[in-house]
Amino acid sequence: MFETRSLKSKIVLQVVLLLLTIPYAIPLVQMFLGSLGGTGFLNYKAVWDTGVVPVYFRNSLIISAGVIALVYIFSMTAGFGFAKLRIFGKEVFFWLILVALTLPEVILLSPLFVTFQKLHMFNTFWAVILPTAALQLPFTILLARNFNSGIPSQLMEAARMDGASVFSTFWHIILPLTKPIAASIIVLTLINSWNTYLLPLLFLQSSDMQTVTLLPQYFQGEFTNDQTKILASAVLTAIPVIIVYLFMQKSFEKGMSAGAL
Amino acid sequence: MKKNKTLGSTMTNGLPWILPAFIFVAGLIYYSIFYTFDLSTLDWNGLDPIQTNVGMSNYDKALSDWIFWKAIKNTVVFFLVTFVIQNFLGFIFAAILHSNVKLATLHKCLIFIPTILAPATMAPVFRLLFSPQGMLQDLFDALHLGITVDWLAQPNSALFILMIVTIWQFTGMSFILYYAAMSQIDKEMLEASHLDGAGKFRTLWSIVLPNCQSTTVSLAMLGIIGSLKTFDVPYLITTGGPNHATEFLGTYIFKQGIRQSHLGYAAAISVLLLILAICGAILISRMNKGGEK
Repeated sequence: MFETRSLKSKIVLQVVLLLLTIPYAIPLVQMFLGSLGGTGFLNYKAVWDTGVVPVYFRNSLIISAGVIALVYIFSMTAGFGFAKLRIFGKEVFFWLILVALTLPEVILLSPLFVTFQKLHMFNTFWAVILPTAALQLPFTILLARNFNSGIPSQLMEAARMDGASVFSTFWHIILPLTKPIAASIIVLTLINSWNTYLLPLLFLQSSDMQTVTLLPQYFQGEFTNDQTKILASAVLTAIPVIIVYLFMQKSFEKGMSAGAL
Repeated sequence: MKKNKTLGSTMTNGLPWILPAFIFVAGLIYYSIFYTFDLSTLDWNGLDPIQTNVGMSNYDKALSDWIFWKAIKNTVVFFLVTFVIQNFLGFIFAAILHSNVKLATLHKCLIFIPTILAPATMAPVFRLLFSPQGMLQDLFDALHLGITVDWLAQPNSALFILMIVTIWQFTGMSFILYYAAMSQIDKEMLEASHLDGAGKFRTLWSIVLPNCQSTTVSLAMLGIIGSLKTFDVPYLITTGGPNHATEFLGTYIFKQGIRQSHLGYAAAISVLLLILAICGAILISRMNKGGEK
């Protein structure tokens, strides 16, 4: 945009960029420096020795995998159905799902609290997986439907002429062609389910079931407000996420920007 | 897309393809919404076998509850300020990184990483950063500025700090979207503007920004939804305090319903929040139609 030609304007632009970016690095620097306060790297050892970090990671992985599986299967099948198949009252079904697009999860709090208590679902992963997936789906179904609409129907018509069933058309034609949007959906769902805080806070009360987003709270209890160790646990939580992002930059950026149509 | 007809009528009915997803989503969400309506007429702690039906009085209570209105006011201010600053910064970053600068990827990563980190992970960091024990205080002390960093404890500044945290978190989002939108802009149009003698900022303002209008609309939509959903950041950094200065509808519902077991009252506020969210959704679809013209 700024077609800089002179050396001077090049330098000015570079400096402006640097000055604008520094504030974004400050919290990350604070996190790292803070985690080294007091006993230095021993903070990390203390956090690791509690043995809970891998457990919390495992739990977050299970929950994310569950949410992704549900969201993927339902988005792909429903996205195909809504875009390409003949369904009576299709627009009504679609509209009823779409209404939930802007629904804040906190609205589900009171009813789910009562219901999961009745069903003895407290301290089960389902209590987090099911509502998280249900809240994610209106959006991912919309994404999948829009993408499917862009696939020429002639392709499917040809498959039908060859005697292919709807299912084999879906399996052999739609699934391979929708890979780009599927990747975005998976990444978006991964970030949202990995970072989810409210539902685990409410429903996962035993510490062997809790997720990485609850780690700071756990260590607040464990180390009676020793900030340095809480920050060490934050660093340990952030590093894998940053590494995965650095390896998959393009998919992450695509997935997040799929968030705006 | 209308040209692509749906598959011929000889194709089997498509209902089985959408029904499982529909039952799952609508079942869980509509069940919860109707149950929330039901709960909102009760005075109940969620456990007691005794539920007292109090009719609409929870709604009356909410509408005359200053904390409820404080939460709404906070949401509106929060949205307006974060929307303007975050998108301004995202737009500038996108424009600069579209120019020939060095280390573009490094800068891009630094701006984008906050977007993917959990607010829950970063909350302790911000509590420290904006406390007298944090880095900012050290910096001010070194410069002998005589400023005390206790902004999270002050009702006047706490909300502003939460806005900074949110802007920090979501500039990456604005940046990525504007960056993509700018790639679509015709280079010749920009050249023409330069030849006409328009300065760089002039071109940005009167050519580039209008061409990114649909992106700005999308970001407004995400911002409205995001502001209504706000929970993690205020709950974890200030717990809505001091004295409800950073209360949001989400944190207030959580406190009332779960912490203080006023489930009926929390449900009534949830219904009011739902109405706001639906108004937001209608507004958004209007804006979308306006943008497509």
